[in-house]
Amino acid sequence: MQFEVLATCHTTKARVSRMTLAHGVTALPTFMPVATQAAIKGLTPQQVESLGITLILNNTYHLNLRPGTKILKEAGGAHKFQGWNHNLLTDSGGFQLVSLSKFTKITEEGALFSSPFTGEPTMLTPEESMSIQHAIGADIMMQLDDVVPSLTTGPRVAEAMARSVRWLDRCIEFHEKSGRKDVQNLFAIVQGGLDPELRDQCLDEMTKRKDGVAGYAIGGLSGGEAKDTFWRIVKQCADKLPADRPRYCMGVGFAEDLLVCAALGVDMADCVFPTRTARFGVALTFRGAMNLKLSKYATDLTPIDQNCPCPTCKGGTTRAMLHHIVTLETVAAHAVTMHNLTFQAQVMGGARDAIMQGTFPAYLHKFFDNYFGDVGYPEWCVNALRSVGVDLLEGKENAKVIPGDGGNWDYSNPKKQ
Amino acid sequence: MSTISFQLSATSPGPRIGTLRLTRPDGTVLSLKTPGIVTATSRGVVPHLSPDLCAQTKAVRWVHVAFESFLDHDPPVPTLLTGQNRALARFLGHPHSAILSLSLRDPGDIRTMPPNGDAHVSANCIRGVRKVTPENWRSYGQSCDPDIIFALTDTPFTPPPYSQKRLTKSVERSLAWVADILRSDSPARNVFVQMAGGTEPAARAAFSEGLGARLYDKEAEAVKPLKTLDEGVAGYSIDLGPLRTTLGDRLLHHSKLAAVLVPDTIETADLTQSTEALIKLVGASLQSLPQSRPRLVNSCTGPHEILKIVKDVGADLFDAAWAQRAADIGIAMEFHFPVPDHHRDGADKLAIGYNLYDHVYAHDFRSLCETDSATVLSTPLQHSSVDSPPTMIPASPFTRAYLHHLLHTHEMSSHALLTAHNLSVLAAFFAGIQGIVSSDSERVLFAKEVEVFCDVYDVSSVLFDEALKAWAGVELARGKGRLGREKVVGAE
Ligand SMILES: [Zn+2]
Repeated sequence: MQFEVLATCHTTKARVSRMTLAHGVTALPTFMPVATQAAIKGLTPQQVESLGITLILNNTYHLNLRPGTKILKEAGGAHKFQGWNHNLLTDSGGFQLVSLSKFTKITEEGALFSSPFTGEPTMLTPEESMSIQHAIGADIMMQLDDVVPSLTTGPRVAEAMARSVRWLDRCIEFHEKSGRKDVQNLFAIVQGGLDPELRDQCLDEMTKRKDGVAGYAIGGLSGGEAKDTFWRIVKQCADKLPADRPRYCMGVGFAEDLLVCAALGVDMADCVFPTRTARFGVALTFRGAMNLKLSKYATDLTPIDQNCPCPTCKGGTTRAMLHHIVTLETVAAHAVTMHNLTFQAQVMGGARDAIMQGTFPAYLHKFFDNYFGDVGYPEWCVNALRSVGVDLLEGKENAKVIPGDGGNWDYSNPKKQ
Repeated sequence: MSTISFQLSATSPGPRIGTLRLTRPDGTVLSLKTPGIVTATSRGVVPHLSPDLCAQTKAVRWVHVAFESFLDHDPPVPTLLTGQNRALARFLGHPHSAILSLSLRDPGDIRTMPPNGDAHVSANCIRGVRKVTPENWRSYGQSCDPDIIFALTDTPFTPPPYSQKRLTKSVERSLAWVADILRSDSPARNVFVQMAGGTEPAARAAFSEGLGARLYDKEAEAVKPLKTLDEGVAGYSIDLGPLRTTLGDRLLHHSKLAAVLVPDTIETADLTQSTEALIKLVGASLQSLPQSRPRLVNSCTGPHEILKIVKDVGADLFDAAWAQRAADIGIAMEFHFPVPDHHRDGADKLAIGYNLYDHVYAHDFRSLCETDSATVLSTPLQHSSVDSPPTMIPASPFTRAYLHHLLHTHEMSSHALLTAHNLSVLAAFFAGIQGIVSSDSERVLFAKEVEVFCDVYDVSSVLFDEALKAWAGVELARGKGRLGREKVVGAE
């Protein structure tokens, strides 16, 4: 991997960088759409490519089950298997193992689970995770980490953090010997729950191993913790991670979260949210979410967003048309998915340009004013951005501020229209 | 009032090729060779093909839309675009280069419906049954501005059989509704007429004679200067769906079926079991009508039936609904006309496609089809000045193993790829027909090639039956949770 920081924001911790991997260049900060089972829901790889997306995520747990590493090897890797010629990142498989398997027991050796095929006890070790990700051939691989739910407290969090460091060592060692270091890159995952002390210890240990890792992820978040805690941990990690390595915040996809993370110095993020919410008929716009199922859109003959360059909006597909087919025809899901992925890319592309031009604080103001001006600014966003020198409420005496986790709305029941 | 010109190679019964040219009010001329495809839609869109993909699929030259799904809103939403050229096509995002035809009802929908009346057709929308009068229909047509509009027709969808009296009424109403849409005070452009009369040859002949009959008095006044209704008609269509129902032919894969309704065992049928009977009925309709108008046949079962109808009747357009439905249930079509040399002497029958749910495709890295045209490379979007210069990397064709994976993981992309594929295979098939007919002055070669095709390609429903069961299996298992399904299907 080549990683080059092109510009940093004069006020916030945001930066623009260029990450060159075996399958091309990706400009950061960026959002990575999730192609869980080797397909972005409903789209062809060419459609995804045409949206200007250069980095997607596959889930190791799912690909290991189906099609399995044997078929992936026969195909010549996951890129060839799914016809995707650009960059690809895989997770370690550990997170899904813990959340989807009925029985999982973590030992020092690895994660013990019952095979979904035979029910037999099966072990996912750090080495096995690396081996599967080598078969997949992802440009970026994640270490196997010891995942505990975000809200866990007590000694288990410390144990998981320490074990994640030990497992990182095993991943590094396995990857070093694999002969694939020139084409695949290993990322470490910072753990430590919501405890700043543990996070610090983990950061210290993992930054010591910098020579063995190409980048760092911030794990263990986006699991229902308070947003005010979330951003403080992200900030703590981003501040301490080495500047010459990309930083990836896992499981983040709301536009406001993405921009806050970017301002705190995060370079990459992923989430199923924009594609999943599209299937329920929710389109993302710079003025908030739009639930196309609502009857008020039945006769609305304007595109989702007049200024959006996606094939759906540019092709003149109207809200009324989408309302007519939403959740009834797969075409509606495809059309809204393309729009939502373009929206995410536009939010991040706009951030890159603004950082390059030295106007990122103004970009943040404009985005948050459009997005939350009517409904109120989430307090946590205000606090997080104040911590990096941007005051969203500056000059707005009567601005409404929403305490708590404002903005973190449920995709099936959006508050904003 | 027709802006369609149709040039035919031959004017005697039997296989024929032609060129259909449709001129729009703005002067655009769309031209297509026949026999050819009409792409079916659902709620106005080609299932699984988003407008960008639809525009890239060269086989989509003509889309047929049923208006009834818009009746769930009053007034129907597309009518809000009144006054715009191609209002409905624009609303739906169909390519400028594709002909759009409009009928009230979906020609593939054979569900039981309440009876029609003397002055209304019962149509189906998501909120239930709606009555549509000829006057409504004229006004919807004017708002939507389709390239071609189908006159209302009185096809009974109450359970068969139908009495002589019912069929007589059907013929009379249908003729009256043709007259209505041809009224000279608000004439519609390019009217297609569905051939009424049910499975009674005499009733079908009576409808056609009614079309060709000289009009007098009030009737003539209403449609002047037309001397007969037929003079105002741009083309004929025959819906085989309801005829098949009346004949007792209930092939399962024809229409959308909920997964829970798919039986565990499906009796294998012959896809051409009704074809001879249907050809007689089509013949009864066309006998007295001029050869020179395009003839559209809806709801064929597959290539065997299409070839026989081309051979015996000389039909020009066929809907692709059966091949599109096949894409829903994981079938990739693969058949060629004329049959390639290397397939002619095989001992075993070939299938007209393959069921990609079948585990034999798990390791099959052959491409879906060699004939698939490369996708059109567009310029990717660029989201910032530091993004790499936008270039698309030409894609290698998708493999059967990948499609197999997508089907078993319930990924919707599979259906988009299969729809584009199946339409392309069907377009190539029709190009093959055109080639043989054009080189065949004696009409012997074509008949012989049809025979070879029927010898080489299996005409049984087994491919569809197996795929339907596999599709239903994956659909139903989804409700039971992913891991449960892994245990059942996990033989790979
Ligand atoms: Zn858009």
